[in-house]
Parts: sequence; C-alpha cells; structure tokens
Amino acid sequence: MKIVACYSNKGGVGKTAASVNLAHAFARAGDKVLLCDLDPQGASGFYFRVKPSQKLQNEAFFEDAKQVAKAIRGSDYDNLDILPANMSFRDFDVFLSQMKNSQSRLKKALKAVGGDYDVIVLDCPPNISMLSENVLKAADLIVVPVIPTTLSERTFEQLLDFVEGQGDGKGGRRKIAGFFSMVQRQKVLHVETMQRMREAHPKRMLDTALPFSTDVERMGVNRAPVREFAPDRPSARAYAGIFDEIRARLHKD
Amino acid sequence: MTTAPSTILVLPGALGDAGLGPRLGDWDIAIGAAEAECGFALLDDHLGTLRDAGQLLIRDDAALTLLDPERGMLTQDAGRAERFVADLDDGPVKAALGHVPPLRSLLAGASGRLGRRDLAVTDDEGKTRVRARLTTLRPDDGGPALTVAALQGLRGYDGALDRLRDHLQGAADAAPGAWSRMLMPPGEPYVAKPDIPVAEDDPAWRVATDIIATYLDVARRNEDGIIADHDTEFLHDYRVALRKVRSVLSLFRGVYADDATAGLKAAASGLMAPTGRLRDLDVYLLAREDYFAMLPASLHEGLDLMFCALEKDRRAAHRRMARHLRAAPYRTQMTDLQAALAAGPPKGPLADDAVGDYARGLIWKRYRKVCRIARAIDADTPDEQVHALRIACKKLRYLMEFFAPLVPASALKPVLKPLKRLQDNLGLFNDYSVQQDFLRDFMDRQAPSGDRRDLVLAQSIGALIAVLHERQREERARIMENFARFDGPRIRERARSLFHRKEAQG
Repeated sequence: MKIVACYSNKGGVGKTAASVNLAHAFARAGDKVLLCDLDPQGASGFYFRVKPSQKLQNEAFFEDAKQVAKAIRGSDYDNLDILPANMSFRDFDVFLSQMKNSQSRLKKALKAVGGDYDVIVLDCPPNISMLSENVLKAADLIVVPVIPTTLSERTFEQLLDFVEGQGDGKGGRRKIAGFFSMVQRQKVLHVETMQRMREAHPKRMLDTALPFSTDVERMGVNRAPVREFAPDRPSARAYAGIFDEIRARLHKD
Repeated sequence: MTTAPSTILVLPGALGDAGLGPRLGDWDIAIGAAEAECGFALLDDHLGTLRDAGQLLIRDDAALTLLDPERGMLTQDAGRAERFVADLDDGPVKAALGHVPPLRSLLAGASGRLGRRDLAVTDDEGKTRVRARLTTLRPDDGGPALTVAALQGLRGYDGALDRLRDHLQGAADAAPGAWSRMLMPPGEPYVAKPDIPVAEDDPAWRVATDIIATYLDVARRNEDGIIADHDTEFLHDYRVALRKVRSVLSLFRGVYADDATAGLKAAASGLMAPTGRLRDLDVYLLAREDYFAMLPASLHEGLDLMFCALEKDRRAAHRRMARHLRAAPYRTQMTDLQAALAAGPPKGPLADDAVGDYARGLIWKRYRKVCRIARAIDADTPDEQVHALRIACKKLRYLMEFFAPLVPASALKPVLKPLKRLQDNLGLFNDYSVQQDFLRDFMDRQAPSGDRRDLVLAQSIGALIAVLHERQREERARIMENFARFDGPRIRERARSLFHRKEAQG
C-alpha cells in the first residue's frame, strides 16, 4: 500500500484539484484508492458530492477503527472511496501508522468490509505544523503544487528545509514531488521561475506542468474530476502526465 | 466503489420504466436507454447441476452471464459456442463453474430475447447512492418475462441499497410461480441414482419391481441425449441403468416366476447389446490425452492415425445407435417392457418375503462369495479369477446400494469405502486388459494402406500395448493389498452384524 500526500503551505494553488484528479487517475488505472479529505474546507468531498459526515465531529474518531470504516463513502467511480472531511485532525497520525501496519485493528476493520486499499491519497490541510512528523514519515510521496512565482519558490524551499529537519534527513527530501501549477506561459516571470527552480532542484520538480485553465475551476460547477467532463483539454492531459510521473516514482523503489 | 457481492434479484415481469421511476422518495431514479435486444439461452447440464447450486447461466450473442448466490453477477465474453465448461475461455464465469462434472455438456434450455438497462439512484447533491443493472428475459414460447436486477451498492450507502431492493420488488409482477417455467422446466429433474424407498416389511416382489421400473425410466431419459450426442454421459448412464435392471433380475432369485425372469433378463441383455461398441469407442476417445502421455513424441504420429480411425468408427457407431433408438422396434420393446413392469410380472415363490431379511440374505451370500474368490487369489491365479472377483464385487455393490435405505448410512460407509477402492483397482485392471484386446483387434481389422503408415501405426500400437500390459501388472499387484483392507476383522464383523440373518437358516 502506498500513501500519497498532497500538500501545500499556501492556499489556492490547486492542491485539492490535484488530490481529486490524482485519486481518480489511480482508480482508473486499476488501483483501489481511498481519498482522505483532511482539509477542513472539505473540498475534495464536495467535488465527489459526498456530504461531510456528522460522525467525524467526534474527537477520538481515528482511534475507533470501526468508526473510520463506517465513515468511508463509495464515490460514483469504480475503485475510488472517500473519507469525508474531518474537522478534528487530532489523531490522524495514529490513523496513518495504523494504515501502514497490516496487523492493526484499522486494517482488519477495513479488510472486513473490502477496503483493502492499494493507494491512499491525502488532501492535507495547508498548515505546516499540521504536517506532523508522522505524516511525513508515513507518506511515500508528497505532491506539492507550485505556482511559479518568487514567493512560491521561497515557500517551496522552506518546505524542503523543514522536511530535511524531520527525522530521516535527506530521505525526506526524496519524497517531495513538486509540479508547476496554474502556469501562464505568456508571463515571463513564470517561465523564468520555472527554469530557475528546475536547475536548483532537478529531481524535485516533475516534467509535466499544469497550465492555468478554467477547466480546473469548472470542477466546482461540474463536481467531477476534469477527465470526466473535459478529457481532451490540456489540463486533463497535464494531470494524466503528472499521474504517470508520480506512479513511476512510487514504483521505483 | 462497489461493495461485493452485489445483490441479485430475480423478479417476475419486465419491470417497465413507467413502473420504476422517476422518484424514490426524495431521490431521483435515472433509467438509462435500453441496449439493443439480442437472443439468449439459459444453459445447464442434464443433471441440473447449476440449478441445484442456485446458479443461472445466460448466454447471449456477446457474453456469458452467471448469477451466483455467493459471487453475485459474473460475466465474460461468450467466445465460440462451447459444449463443456473446460472449453470456455478462462474467466470469472468459468471459474465459478468448477463444480460442473467435466464430462457433462452445457445444454440450452429456455431461449428468447434479452434486453438490458442501467438504473441509478441519486440524492439532492447529484451523488449516486445505488445502481442496478436490469436484464429482462422474454422467452420465445410467449411465457411471462422475468427480470434479473443486479444491485450495486456503494460503500457507506447501505440504506439506499435496501430501499431500491424494496422498490424493485414492489414494481415486479405479483404472480410468483408464473415465470418459473423458464427456470424450472416441467417434469421431474433427471437423477442418475434416484432414491428408491425401501421399508423392512415391504414384499421383495414390490421392491424389485420398483427398482426395475425406476431404472428403466432412468435409461429412457437418456435416449434423446444419446441421439443428439450432447456428451458421452448419456450413453454411460443409460448402460448403467440397464445393467442395474439386469442385476436385479439375476440377483433377486425366486421373486418372479422363472420364465418371467428369463424373459426379462433376455430383454435387458438385448437392450444392452447395441450399446457396447459405442461405449468402448467413447472410452478410448476420452482417454486420448492419457494415451499420448504414455508414449514419447516420436510415436505420436501413429496415435494420430489411430484416433482418426477411431473417430470415424465412432461416428458410424453413433449413427447406428441413434437409428436403433429412433426405430419403432426399440420403442415398442421399451414400451412393452415398461407396461409389463407396471402390470407386475408373475410372482415367484419368494415374492411375498419381507424384503429386509431377504435382502440381508442376498448381501450376506454375495459378500461371502466375494471373500471366497478373493482369498483364493494369489500371484499365480489366472486373470479369469480376477475378472470373476470384479463381477462379484459389482453385484455386491449394487445390492448394498439398492438396500441402503434399510441400514444407517454411517454403518454402511466403513464397508462401502474399502469395497469402492477395491472396485476401482479391479476396474483399472480390467480396463487395461480390455484395452490391449481392443488394440490387437483394431490392428487386425486395419486394412494395410501399403505405405509407411502401416509401420507408424504398428509401432505406436505395439508400444501402447506394452505400456498397458505393464500397468495391468501394477494394478494386479495392488489387488491383494486392497482386498486385505476390505477383509479386515473390523469390516468382517461389521458386515456380519449388518447382513447375517440371526435366525436359524432353514
């Protein structure tokens, strides 16, 4: 089982859209996927039309394996389940370590209801202190959308430093997979920033960039992954490219 | 994501769109456009193996669909028209049909036109809560339609699944049984070994007559399958049934008047006679792979030639058999025989004996005969004696099976199990012996072609005979050991307590 965390310490960079489209792509490729909506705004659940669960208001939610299993909702797409927004993020790292341990009560509870997942996609809240050591440890890959501006460049480097300071040093950096998001090729600033960042972090940035597109904004109207309503558009093709690269990285080790 | 297995409902009626939607409480029901109709047939074997397992197998132009009580609805490509499960393409349907006897072909039962529709229930957010795939079957005979609904629940939305199930059941035609014709063809299901009730005090004459009448009926129910040549089991069952009839006649001495017994026995033997050749050929053709495995590849060419010839022989033998079964003399003979049994053959001196004691006497006698023959067998005994033992075991086994209702199954099993093992061993010994004779005979009957094929064929058959001879020797070596297992003190004691008549024999 692989854990992919989508994270950004800035809002509005397309993190939730990336979570939704990546989870959908994994499921289409045949993996059994659980998308955990950990962002208090509950946006990824919204894209899949899943109502936030009342049960999740409970503080000790992640400690009760049966509760977690009960809160999971099947999406309209094969192989893709959603764990809707959780307002309290308290014991989430417990949840993650349980997911990693095949003998844990949670894994057994999920197995019992046929929820033996191949991939878990985390739509993380935009707050670096929340991205606890355990989340970093548990994730196999941390996908970071980056809008190519000077400010984003700085926050991305802060994230790399933070990850390096966590526990396993250099290994942490290797989990970071950044991709350029909302790219406008006509903006000189964008093009120059991308070039500079690719030179500075050759292995950290994916080749595929996501162009700025109204299709991604229209996800909120259509309440579906881009591939479902605009499969031939540049943004759908970009997500497909990002997915291919991420999948290759996941299965490299 | 779907929760497996999906819930399958088989509902009477066509469940038209008008009766289904557009609302289910405060949810919407969206019904997709009907897919183009196509022809279908329901498949099962002669024994109703699928029906007994609660399965329904539907073949249409493109796919095989299996409804399974455990696994839900399975589909795979239809592939080419198949006769046996082994011929199906690998897939989920084939995997779920592993329990079908491998020699039994799949036969088309009810047929008609099939249409499919999808249905989805969505809430006020437009989120799908449950889906269903509806397959409506309209039989060609104009009988009532039925609809198979495969409900697909989504995780965390169990309530919706229950609501849709109730809704569909409510929309179905409320006439249970009206559509069961398609699923349950009229008439009694075929059983190769029917249970024939036997009670301790029944007159022996009554029981014998019941057994014979039952097995004549079993034989008759295989006639059409033999003629159509669906699979080799029809002829096999036919022969076993007639053999049982003959055994009852020869074993139940004194139950019918002597001349009646002789007449019936002659009739049964007369019925058996035309079947032997075709059965032999079936057995060889079924053993084809075994034969190829016996010989190195360098000798396979001769086997190909031989099997080509055997297939030709079999086609001719089958044509003769089918003609025989269709012809008026056979039909008349069978009808007369059944009528004679229904009227009741003239009674013999022991006709009114209580069957319990009578049967135990027969079994005890037969059991002792088996032991007598077997104990005399050693490494130098001629093969004829071994064949005599095989026949004696067969008769003992039939007797025990006929009268099984008189003894508790748990008491009979310890005797039957080693007997079966000994019989398998004797059966193989006999098969190897018969096969060698058959091959020699086959060689004798081959008209020489005058080219190298004569040599190729002779080499392969010679090699086969050598292998079969060796196998026969190995089986022979096991007979004494298997009989020793059957002849242990505990089984002897068991047989005595079950079958030895307590009162003084007068």
